[in-house]
Amino acid sequence: MTEPVRGTRISVDVNGEIHERDVEARRLLVHFLRDDLDLTGTHVGCDTGNCGACTVIVDGVAVKSCMMLAVQADGASVETVEGLAGNGELHPLQQAFSSFHALQCGYCTPGMLMSAKHLLDNNPEPTEGEIRRAIQGNICRCTGYVNIVEAIAATARGEVSG
Amino acid sequence: MTETAVTPAQPVTVDEQELAPGFIGQNVARKEDRRLVEGQGVFVDDVKRHGMAYVHFVRSPYAHAAIAGIDVSRALELDGVYGTLIGEEVAAETEPFFQIAPPPAGDLKDYALAVGRVRHVGEPVVAVAAATRELARDAAELVEVDYEPLEVVLDPETAADSGRPQLHDEVPNNTIWQGNFDYGDYDAALAEADKVVRIKRLHFHRFSSTPLETSGAVVEYNRGTGQWTIHSNNQFPGFAIIMMAPALKVGMDKLRLVSQDIGGGFGNKICTHVQLVAMCLLARKLNRAVNWTEWRTDQHTANSHGNERVFLDVEVPVKADGTLLGFKSRMIDDCGAYTRYEPLGCIIWAQVTPGCYRWRHVRVDFTQVCTNKSPCGPNRGYSRMQHLWFTERIIDIVAQELELDPVEIRKRNYIRADEMPYETPNGCVYDSGDYARCLDEALKLIDHDSIEARRRDAESRGKLLGVGIGSTLDSGTNNFGQSTLVNPELQFSGNNEVATVKLDIFGEIVVTLGTTPQGQSHETTAAQVVADILQVSPDDVNVRAGHDSYWNSHAGFSGTYASQFAVTGLGAVKGATDMLADQIRKIGAAILGAESTDEVELAGGFVRRKDNHEAALPFMACGAIVNANNAVLPLELRDVTLNCRYVYVPPHQMPDKERKYGNLTLTYATQIHACVVEVDPETGVYEIVDYGAVDDCGIRINPQIVEGQVQGATAQAIGAATHETFLYDEDGNLLTPNFYDYHVPHALDMPALKTAYVESASPFTPLGAKGMGEGGGAGLSAVASALQDALRASGRPIVSDSSNPYNRVWELLRDPEQSRRLVDVEDR
Amino acid sequence: MLLAPVEYARPSSVAEAVRLLGAHDGARALAGGQTLTNVMKARAAAPDVLVDLNGLAELRAISRTSDGGLELGAMATLTEVTRSSEVAETRPIIAQVASQIADLQVRNRGTVGGNICSNDPTNHLPPLMSALGATMTILGADGERAVPAVDFFLGVYTTAVAPGELLTKITLPATHDRRDGFASVTIGKDGTCIVNAAASVHDGQAAIALGCVAAVPVLLASASDEDAVRSAVRGAKLDPPSDVHASAEYRLHLAEVVAVRAVAEAST
Repeated sequence: MTEPVRGTRISVDVNGEIHERDVEARRLLVHFLRDDLDLTGTHVGCDTGNCGACTVIVDGVAVKSCMMLAVQADGASVETVEGLAGNGELHPLQQAFSSFHALQCGYCTPGMLMSAKHLLDNNPEPTEGEIRRAIQGNICRCTGYVNIVEAIAATARGEVSG
Repeated sequence: MTETAVTPAQPVTVDEQELAPGFIGQNVARKEDRRLVEGQGVFVDDVKRHGMAYVHFVRSPYAHAAIAGIDVSRALELDGVYGTLIGEEVAAETEPFFQIAPPPAGDLKDYALAVGRVRHVGEPVVAVAAATRELARDAAELVEVDYEPLEVVLDPETAADSGRPQLHDEVPNNTIWQGNFDYGDYDAALAEADKVVRIKRLHFHRFSSTPLETSGAVVEYNRGTGQWTIHSNNQFPGFAIIMMAPALKVGMDKLRLVSQDIGGGFGNKICTHVQLVAMCLLARKLNRAVNWTEWRTDQHTANSHGNERVFLDVEVPVKADGTLLGFKSRMIDDCGAYTRYEPLGCIIWAQVTPGCYRWRHVRVDFTQVCTNKSPCGPNRGYSRMQHLWFTERIIDIVAQELELDPVEIRKRNYIRADEMPYETPNGCVYDSGDYARCLDEALKLIDHDSIEARRRDAESRGKLLGVGIGSTLDSGTNNFGQSTLVNPELQFSGNNEVATVKLDIFGEIVVTLGTTPQGQSHETTAAQVVADILQVSPDDVNVRAGHDSYWNSHAGFSGTYASQFAVTGLGAVKGATDMLADQIRKIGAAILGAESTDEVELAGGFVRRKDNHEAALPFMACGAIVNANNAVLPLELRDVTLNCRYVYVPPHQMPDKERKYGNLTLTYATQIHACVVEVDPETGVYEIVDYGAVDDCGIRINPQIVEGQVQGATAQAIGAATHETFLYDEDGNLLTPNFYDYHVPHALDMPALKTAYVESASPFTPLGAKGMGEGGGAGLSAVASALQDALRASGRPIVSDSSNPYNRVWELLRDPEQSRRLVDVEDR
Repeated sequence: MLLAPVEYARPSSVAEAVRLLGAHDGARALAGGQTLTNVMKARAAAPDVLVDLNGLAELRAISRTSDGGLELGAMATLTEVTRSSEVAETRPIIAQVASQIADLQVRNRGTVGGNICSNDPTNHLPPLMSALGATMTILGADGERAVPAVDFFLGVYTTAVAPGELLTKITLPATHDRRDGFASVTIGKDGTCIVNAAASVHDGQAAIALGCVAAVPVLLASASDEDAVRSAVRGAKLDPPSDVHASAEYRLHLAEVVAVRAVAEAST
């Protein structure tokens, strides 16, 4: 794409499955996931990149999918909340969020889980401060974060199995 | 008991046999969680329909302007645009929304889109529908609206002054409602006082809970039946349908409101009936499903704010020993541009007229005005939070000025446990509670005994440490009869909620609720109640997710709002399950050859003979017999359906309209919070370094869920007390229209919250539980209180605002005298 | 939330990026996109063409210069900066400040160059780079030019990078025992800055850059003792903006406080 295009065909690996779609250049990654691929687990909670509900992992890095164009994900590997559980087994973080009542309405949860996964993938034994820093970009309006922090800490300690 | 204490007309006692041992009171894992952690929840914007159009609103850039003309032609020319809707069409096709206010304010015209005039920035003027979200917005930019700007009204304190522009032709002086509340004998109290503390002005600011999921809808119209199916996240379908059906000039059954998962509501999703009507009109006009996604900036600008309130000329008569006798104030409430749920806020505060205190002489002159700002509506702690913050500010200001200990003055004046149930000066009945004990627990959480040592330690680090208390009540299970105290002509009173519980052919227990949960875990707690009554596991109980007004002919007040599920929702569940249990026992007795249902019992998914546990019939067999094999039943049992619907109706009475007197809510949960702050005197920057929240909501159905509500409500209060504020510029533009400028607490901002519980069972409710979840107001008071304590060493400034960002704290530090001019103590 | 129509190109070399930026009026470089995308969502800006720099590895390098300085590729992400051993060894303040910007997801995509070029008055890096005496390398059709920080920031959202040009790297001089500090008052912990200050101190002399008080960072030179710093800030005749978070008066007061604190950090 060395010359400007209004739209193009992209190929994106989402949770291990390759998806090819024509997209407009202006389409945000979050709308590509939600509207084009029907992966509605990734949420939209703001329009300024502050809330983190749309957090996904792109090529191993947690990003907010509302601040990335779908065309920028061409050729990338994207992990969303729908890919966390495997073979019917919840990911330990998913189990911990439930066990510790780390979600109420559940709207921030997918983004929160992806931020937490990114943290533990890179730092298996985080301190409480590191946990809070890792989810600073994810707003939750229900829980006050108390149980979210505990759930992530317990997962890191290996106290929860999926 | 005081002589005024009363016993409710129909006391409902807790049936201990049903309560213990069982799942009620246990931390049962949430049934909702699995789908939510897997990203398989269905929120409104996840609903898709073939050929669905996306709707974008053209919104007013002016706070107040006449609409001279609208031209949609360029938008319609764009490829992929399906159509538009403008105010003139709305005015032709719908009636203005029903108004709660009495005339003249009750005559104001509120439509689904602006008609002729806009009254706040962000007000929807035109709706544009197109094939994609992006295209709808592109087309919206092509709509031309000719505005003629008008002078704006923004300041509630002068909005009613003569000569101010009028927002609504029908509403003189922009005054929506005015009323006087006079309880006890205020003049006598004033005469009796040894000291009178006067406070010129206290201000409660605008903010809202800003649920992370914004509002939205997917609306379909069925031309054959004339019915709309409205997938939305409206949290009070009972109210929405009452508003929408007359506006659309159809019967209520033409409107089917559906929701599954809702991403937080906190009251802010009650008044979306306005946008839903616009969607209904578009769906009918275009013969196509339409999707409306409210964006965050829209939510902040034009959805529903918490009411701003000013308390003027406050007067507090006090005895020499610190006994508070009452208070007087002139209150002005700002409801913004329209009155969707208002002026109910003008009476809702009266549910907690005396707060937690024994003072009995109250005189309030209450006025609500409209201004060119976003409409207000219920917001977690609706109207009570403002009032309770006011009472707590009085306590701390009086304590400081009279040099009384803030703990002691509270304990001296709190309503006492042995006075419960306690009738307030305006006839409300506080059902139970032990405020002093809760305060002791809260002080323990923050290790109050060490405060002076910590204060010295903070001083050694150049910081000012302060401790503060917030005492609030979360009144729940409204008596809608209070609406008649703002408008005697209204025909609303009492309350209700519905549930159905059935046993299917294969023995499956299925529950439907009339509620619209937004994180309150109704599926789980309902299953706990059903499980205990039917003697099964909550895992065996299938509670249908979400709400569907077609499932169970919802009750008139169905929804999830105002701290009541544990009473009304679970009351309905309990009622329906008791009916089902009785029917199962009848079938069991007949099949098992028992003389009466007294000889059988439910256990482990069976109905069995008490005298012979081997003689047992599985629920599956009961379900199969009644539903598919009923010829085996004796004739007298043919009316058994195993499909039971129950509407819970609380024991409310009509209040006295003349005296504005009566019991306005059934339960009163207690929150006593204690907060420790450290202030940097050089900058006004402060940090909450310790926080304890004690909650008493009676019997806790699921303690973990209760604790989650306490933590979340507290976080919202801390956010509101520190940085969250809706501020406008002089032209009426909102300056904090998104999460960039409207800073809500994130994980680094939140202190580690400590919680503790007291359980004072409600004597008035089916399970001894009280509604809860809105108790965060205590946090607003606790932060203000702690700041005032911290700044005491720096000229004793008065914290007179509920919003205390660093800038304001710095101003108090820099010029304490300015704030001190607000208070005056008269020695008698 | 929804962008206006835009064209997109992903050049495979820096030269190609410069060519694309020069060839299209209304073309804009897309770095991390953590500011630009949001501006486009609000439709406050609607570039015709986005030239995506994310594929250009040559712009991401972080290295030490032969004279002991530090070179940051404009496309190095803020996360990469916080983890870089080169940064930690030479100018650790850059990692410390970068770690306070926005949040983790934003730092994972947001770049050093993006933070500098967007030049929002509340940004962290413009004052930091000003105090540290950084030099910006700008590449255009006519070749490369080096612009010192003091000349780089021109106004709110505008810098010396002209249409058709690209910021390629930021060069910091060797420290020579110079020590750095940074202080700020933010909305909430590590939130948006209300006022910030960066300082670099050597031999009792401080270079101080104040952020959020003017359209561009305000650079002051002062002795590093508290009284001198205070009088330098007072002498700067600041006229800071008033907004919903802070009055001009409050900002003026804070500017002095954070300047003192930044210099104190640099001096310890």
